[in-house]
Amino acid sequence: MARTRSTKPSTAASATDSDSTKSKSTITLVSHTGEAPKVFILPSKATPDARIVTLPNPRSSQPSRYLACPETGIYEFTKLATPKSVPRSWLIEAVPNSNGTNTNNQGAGPSAQVTMASELFVATAIDPLFLVLPALADAKASKGSNEFKRLFLSSDDHLDKLPQENSHLSEIMRWGTTRRLIESRMGAVCDTIEAGDEAMFRLNEKKLLDVVFQKAKRMSESGLPPSMEDKFVKKVLQAPMMHRVVRTGESQLSGNNTDSTSSTPQTESATSQSTESTTETSDTSVSQASTAATSVADEPAEENFASSLQASPEVVEQQRLKVAFEFICSSYVAPLLADNLQKSFSGTGGLKDFSLLNDYMASLEKLRSETMAVRAQDYGRKRNQDELDDEARLEKKRKMEEEKKKKASESRGVRDLKKVNTSGMKKLSHFFQKK
Amino acid sequence: MLEARLEQASILKKVVDAIKDLVQDCNFDCNDSGIALQAMDNSHVALVSMMLKAEGFSPYRCDRNIALGVNLTSLTKVLRAAQGEDILTLKAEDAPDVLNLMFESSENDRISEYDLKLMDIDQEHLGIPETEYAATITMPAAEFRRICTDLAAMSESVGIEASKDGVKFSCNGDIGNGSVTLRSHTNIDKPDLNVDIELTEPVSLTFSLKYLVNFCKAAALSNQVKICLSSEVPLLVEYNLSGSSYLRFYLAPKIGDEE
Repeated sequence: MARTRSTKPSTAASATDSDSTKSKSTITLVSHTGEAPKVFILPSKATPDARIVTLPNPRSSQPSRYLACPETGIYEFTKLATPKSVPRSWLIEAVPNSNGTNTNNQGAGPSAQVTMASELFVATAIDPLFLVLPALADAKASKGSNEFKRLFLSSDDHLDKLPQENSHLSEIMRWGTTRRLIESRMGAVCDTIEAGDEAMFRLNEKKLLDVVFQKAKRMSESGLPPSMEDKFVKKVLQAPMMHRVVRTGESQLSGNNTDSTSSTPQTESATSQSTESTTETSDTSVSQASTAATSVADEPAEENFASSLQASPEVVEQQRLKVAFEFICSSYVAPLLADNLQKSFSGTGGLKDFSLLNDYMASLEKLRSETMAVRAQDYGRKRNQDELDDEARLEKKRKMEEEKKKKASESRGVRDLKKVNTSGMKKLSHFFQKK
Repeated sequence: MLEARLEQASILKKVVDAIKDLVQDCNFDCNDSGIALQAMDNSHVALVSMMLKAEGFSPYRCDRNIALGVNLTSLTKVLRAAQGEDILTLKAEDAPDVLNLMFESSENDRISEYDLKLMDIDQEHLGIPETEYAATITMPAAEFRRICTDLAAMSESVGIEASKDGVKFSCNGDIGNGSVTLRSHTNIDKPDLNVDIELTEPVSLTFSLKYLVNFCKAAALSNQVKICLSSEVPLLVEYNLSGSSYLRFYLAPKIGDEE
């Protein structure tokens, strides 16, 4: 879905606004003094007019880099870095561009560069809603949302509340499509009124919750990334392993699984497309992930068959949804607002009934404490082991005492004779034949 | 079963006292000819051989061969219960777990009985051939003991040199040297003090005094001790018990000792 454009030298002409790092390199590899080139994977649908811009991070409000494309929306960068223990570097070869956009390098021959930094930046679409969300729900408002009445404001007035320094937001707002996009996304979470020819926005937390919930639902149903699935779903739901093998409901369970996973994602992807106009790439990921979801859902059924408590597919699904929601909240939503969202999400009047999951978690908790008790008994057994060790020690002691006794059973004369220097004395068996 | 009545418990007591410092555990092999014992010390350089002939007991009865594995220290403890003039009766089953010792006091009608637990002892028996020794010295047991203890104070080993002039016990230690020479000597009044040296050829050998001193603990058993020497063979120290019973000690000579 994305082709590697990579390296500032090659993307410089097409997709970056910083020409400073561009190197007109010859064949010989000269040490490059400027900023080291970075390797990006940019979405192929991003137009050449896309720019890397600085915008306040929706979670931390710190200036962060985004790729803004006037046509297709805004992309966030994800840095993929190898751990320090596995040092890697890039060998970058800038071939004369085949599609002809890279005119600068033409005729210069291939240029290559080695860069020590092994990071790879992947640009993926981000809902611009999150970028403007801090503006819509400014801290004051969300703190005392009950008393404080949010005002209907124009989008510009809202966006003025965002940190202005190092922000290119005002620049990208000049792009008509981007502005329209952002305003439409604002509309998805806000009550709007038309004031003359200008739309006024006021954040509606219920709408926001709904949007985030739909995102979470989509994320969970298209299957969480395996690492998340492992850490936050399987591990959390996994009942302590018991020695007895419980096979009950396994077959029925796997049947349910395939049902749920095959039917729901389709409906979901349809709804998601309507809610998410910006990220068209994602529906491919949905279709890919749905197959992954079946495999993921099947796995616990096989793995857990020996565990004492079986998470039903509904429970797994709810847990996934919860994890997805929490992930979105913790990554893209400012902490205060995220708290509010999570409260209303998991609250009783929420969008989804989590009673199944809650029940399961309660019984799981109970089971865990029971297992801990059993373990404690195991520790008791370990103490028995210690006692065994004690016995071994006693045995040793007894042996020593026996030895002592044995020593006592030999007379002083015998003991003394052991010290006699018998060098030069042959054994009597040398003189006398054995009978 | 074994049933052996020994008129003098002290004989066994002294035998055990004499060998308990040389041997820890040993088998008393009982057969119809008597009770025999052969054991080596831990280093296997000394051997003790005891024979208590059936004639020494009255009565003596042994239906089949029995090996009585005994810890000599334990046996000593039991024998300590015997008074000097007690009559000792040894009794054991054919496959015994215990050795029964009964002490009868002849003076009063006291009978004490002890059961001593037996043990299985794996021992190798050496066949000791009849040897013609180059030199045979018969002397008072006490005299031999005295020589050994005196010289042991100076050195670890003693050289025994038998020649036609007599027998010379000599030692060379850190503090000096010393020697005792005995000549054949006949005391008509007290034949126990006779010193008799039979010599076919001169012999000179070196022995560990520690072992000899140990052997000398048997001096209480007999007035006279017989010492037999030949080159390159173990020394024999023999104490005669009543009748043809004996207690013999063998000790390997020190050869090539560079002291």
